[in-house]
Amino acid sequence: MREILLYTGCTTPVRLPAYEAATIAVLEKLGVKAREMTDVTCCGAQYIESISPTAFAAMSGRILAVAEKEGLDILAICGACSGSLKITKHELDHDKQLRDEINDILADEGLKYTGKVRVRHLLQVLAEDIGYETIERAIVKPYTGLKVSAHYGCHVTRPFDIVQVDDPENPTILDRLAEIAGAEAVDYAGKTRCCGGPMLAMDESLATKIGQEKVNNIADVGADVILTACEFCDIQLTQVQFDDNFDASRRIPVMPITQFLGPALGIDEERLGFSLNRIDPQEVLAALQGGQA
Amino acid sequence: MNETVYTPTSSFAEELAAIPGGEAVNKCIQCGICTASCAVARYSDEYRPRQLIQKILLGEREEVLKSTLPWLCMTCRLCEERCQEGVSPAEIFHAVRILAAREGHVPQSFRHVVSALIRDGWLLNDSYTDFEEDDREDLGLNTELGWNNEFLKRIKKLIPLEESE
Ligand code: SF4
Ligand code: SF4
Repeated sequence: MREILLYTGCTTPVRLPAYEAATIAVLEKLGVKAREMTDVTCCGAQYIESISPTAFAAMSGRILAVAEKEGLDILAICGACSGSLKITKHELDHDKQLRDEINDILADEGLKYTGKVRVRHLLQVLAEDIGYETIERAIVKPYTGLKVSAHYGCHVTRPFDIVQVDDPENPTILDRLAEIAGAEAVDYAGKTRCCGGPMLAMDESLATKIGQEKVNNIADVGADVILTACEFCDIQLTQVQFDDNFDASRRIPVMPITQFLGPALGIDEERLGFSLNRIDPQEVLAALQGGQA
Repeated sequence: MNETVYTPTSSFAEELAAIPGGEAVNKCIQCGICTASCAVARYSDEYRPRQLIQKILLGEREEVLKSTLPWLCMTCRLCEERCQEGVSPAEIFHAVRILAAREGHVPQSFRHVVSALIRDGWLLNDSYTDFEEDDREDLGLNTELGWNNEFLKRIKKLIPLEESE
């Protein structure tokens, strides 16, 4: 079985462990073993990134170097982490002075960045490394009569020149995966807009308004579930639906793509953590052919 | 190629242009497409990416560096996809933050997070309690997260952060 190193980022293990478990289970089903990285730090996104380019490159660069030592590619399941690692890789590959500086820091631990490691976001592993056909063949229990809306995550698809995931103006990977699993993918206004998550640090009420606009646009087209490819987006788009200003009758379940694909691939429900979802996904699961997994 | 500069420029704009990410600031023609496509501008009364770039071009150095506005950008890069002049407001405000941080202007919320990061090596150490451990165990996941909390302390000197007042 092919192996890849899973860099979970800080948030998923604590706030959305079902995403982590579902990702490991789904990839295993599709022939990829995701082994979790240890002895690494936060990637540095947003906070360190905003105040020190060198410390940021050292943090993400060290993660790249640890993977290089293991001789495996990195799988990132968070938009911010995949962005940090890819941007840093790009900088280290193009700026020799920065690379030397970072390697000096890493040398104390016997680590070195040479550029061999690749960073793959989950959507790339699913769509390119595994491929739609393989996934389609593995579907044993398709959804029927279910409408889904996809939210891609800004840092997953932008800037395209560096991240190379999907078309940033018209992304389709999540939509295609949902359709392979038997669902109908529906577009909505502002599909490529931000969930508001990065605003939480500075202004929570502003962040909430941005997220609610997104959910309301999705509710308007009648989607039964929102699919995500980043835990930050997933948590944010869930959280904003519990705000006092949000009409509770309009709540829509939010699911990371691997948790959504899991039951259609015949994976045991215990491994997918549905009971941890804040918005009950029972109606989504009821749309599986032959009833719930 | 026509090298005419149509927009005002300033020593502040030149200073930012020297920071990676800030290079394109002088190409901005002030069309406002960035503001029109920005979700933050939509819900905030003050945040206007075009206007902030205008202040840079006009050389309002102190005002911009001391302002919290450049820290409101979500780096969602929608504006960058839309800008016809190849300017990325997200990258420009990133350069502004780097310069502001060098001069000690970092918003309190960022300071708190950065201090915790230096201490723990990752963001959510304080939030990882028995509840989350149980959830992980139920899902068959490891409960020892194994984060490295040494490296950030080693590179602390690279992070410009005065102790919070
Ligand atoms: S869209 Fe581009 S050129 Fe127009 S105001 Fe914004 S940054 Fe300047
Ligand atoms: S990158 Fe920043 S300025 Fe541009 S649209 Fe997003 S939040 Fe607005």
